[in-house]
Amino acid sequence: MARLLDAGLEQLTVMVYKSGEVAKSAINLSISAFMNGKDAMEDVHDLSDVISSMTVEIENKAFELIVKYQPVASDLRIINSYMKVAYDFERYGRYAWDISFTHKKLGALGECAVASDLMPKLVEKVSLMVSKSVKALREHDAELAKTLADTENEVDELYFAYLNQLSKARAQSKCVMCNLLVSRYLERIADHTTYVGEAIVYIATGEKISLR
Amino acid sequence: MKILGWPQKSTDKAEEQTVEEAVLTSEKMQSINLNAWFGDKKVLKDITLTVKANSVTAIIGPSGCGKSTLIRCFNRMHELVPNARMSGKILLDGKNIYSSDVDPVLIRRRVGMVFQKPNPFPTMSIYDNVAAGLRLTGVKKGHNLDEVVELSLKQATLWDEVKDDLKKSGTSISGGQQQRLCIARAITLQPEVILMDEPCSALDPIATAKIEELIVSLKRDYTVVIVTHNMQQAARVSDFTAFLYLGELVEYGETDGIFEDPRSELTEKYITGKFG
Repeated sequence: MARLLDAGLEQLTVMVYKSGEVAKSAINLSISAFMNGKDAMEDVHDLSDVISSMTVEIENKAFELIVKYQPVASDLRIINSYMKVAYDFERYGRYAWDISFTHKKLGALGECAVASDLMPKLVEKVSLMVSKSVKALREHDAELAKTLADTENEVDELYFAYLNQLSKARAQSKCVMCNLLVSRYLERIADHTTYVGEAIVYIATGEKISLR
Repeated sequence: MKILGWPQKSTDKAEEQTVEEAVLTSEKMQSINLNAWFGDKKVLKDITLTVKANSVTAIIGPSGCGKSTLIRCFNRMHELVPNARMSGKILLDGKNIYSSDVDPVLIRRRVGMVFQKPNPFPTMSIYDNVAAGLRLTGVKKGHNLDEVVELSLKQATLWDEVKDDLKKSGTSISGGQQQRLCIARAITLQPEVILMDEPCSALDPIATAKIEELIVSLKRDYTVVIVTHNMQQAARVSDFTAFLYLGELVEYGETDGIFEDPRSELTEKYITGKFG
C-alpha cells in the first residue's frame, strides 16, 4: 500500500525536475544568444523568474511534507536535497540572466565570444555539466553526478587561463569586460552543478562528499 | 547502592557536567547472545547489545518483535512470567545479573522500570506513592524521607505541580502527571538504569513532551532504555537506537545515523513506514 507521503514526494520530484529543465533551457538560451551575438535578455529573464517561483513552491511543498509526515532516512534525504537543488537551479537561472544582461548592456558583441578559443570551450563544458546535473538528478545517478568533479576542474583551468589571457589585453574594451563577466558567471554555474551533484550522491548513498 | 542519604549527592561531579559531557562515557549494560522464550516460542534470538552509561537508548520495532521482552530481561522481570525462560548473559557493570549469586530483587532495584500505562498505587497519596519504594526497603520517617520525596518529584519535574497537594490521591492527577509520578517513584530508589516501556503511548502531546524533556534530563544521572513505537520520539530523545525485527537485532547505532542513513534496508523500510 502506498504511503501518504509517497504522493507528496512524487509531486515534489516532478516540481524539481521541471525546475531543472527550465534552468537548463535558460542557460542554453543565454549561452546560445551570447555566442551568436543575439539579445535574449527578456526571454531569459522570464525563465529566471519562473525558476524563482518554482523554488518557492518547492520549499513550500517540502515544508508541508516535513510538517505532515516527519520523514526520516531516504525520505528526509530526498526532501532536504531537493530544497538545496532547487536553490542551485535558481542560481542557474540567475546566472543565465546575468549573462544575457551583460550582453545586452554592453552591446551585441557576438565577435567577443569567439575572440579567444577558450570561451567556446568553457561554454561547451558548462553546458555539458548543466545537462549532466539535470540528468543525474532525474535518475538519482550518483556515479554520473561524481563525474561532474572532473569537468569542474577542467572548467576552473579554462577559467583561470582565460583570466590570464584577459589580463594581458592591451587596452580595456567592452569585449574584455563582457568576457570577464560571462566567464565568471559560467564558472559559478559550473560550481553549482557540483552542488547539485553532491546532493544527488547524498540522496542515493547517504554519503556527504565534496565534488569541488 | 545508596538509598539513604542520597540528597547529599548534590556535590557529585556529574552535576557539574553538562548532559552532553556526561553522555557516552562507558558501558553500563550488555546483553550477550541473549535468547528468550515464552513456552516453545522463541521471541529473542541471539541479541548482543551494549547500553552506554548516561545515555538514552531507544528500542524500536514492530509489535511482537521482542522489544518489551528485551527490556524485561534487563531487570529479570521476564522470568516472572510462567513458562518464560532465557539463555545468554546480561551484564550490569560487567557482572552477569543472571549469576546464581545475584538477588533478582536487588537487580530490580538497580534497574527500575516505568510501564506503558501510568500505574500509581490507587489507594496511596502522591507522597506515599513516591515514598512507597523506600518504605518497602525499610526506610522509616526521620530518614530524610520528606527530602527524598521532594527531590524525586523535582527530578521528575513534578514538584511544582503537586507540592501543595501531596496528600491527594496519586490517581487524582492527570495521566501525564501520573506517569511522572511513577518516574519519581522509580527514581526514589536511586536505580542506575531506568527502563521505560512505551511511557508516552497513553499520553497527549503536551504530556508526552514533558516526559521526553524529562527523559533527556534524566540521563545526567541515570542510564535510560526506552521502548517506543514512535519513531520521532526515538529520534528526539535517544542517543542510540536498536531496531528489532522478529526477535533479531537488525541494526544498532547512533540515533542520528539510524534515522538519516540506516545501513540495513529493513531498518530503512521500517522507519520510513514502508512496512510494519
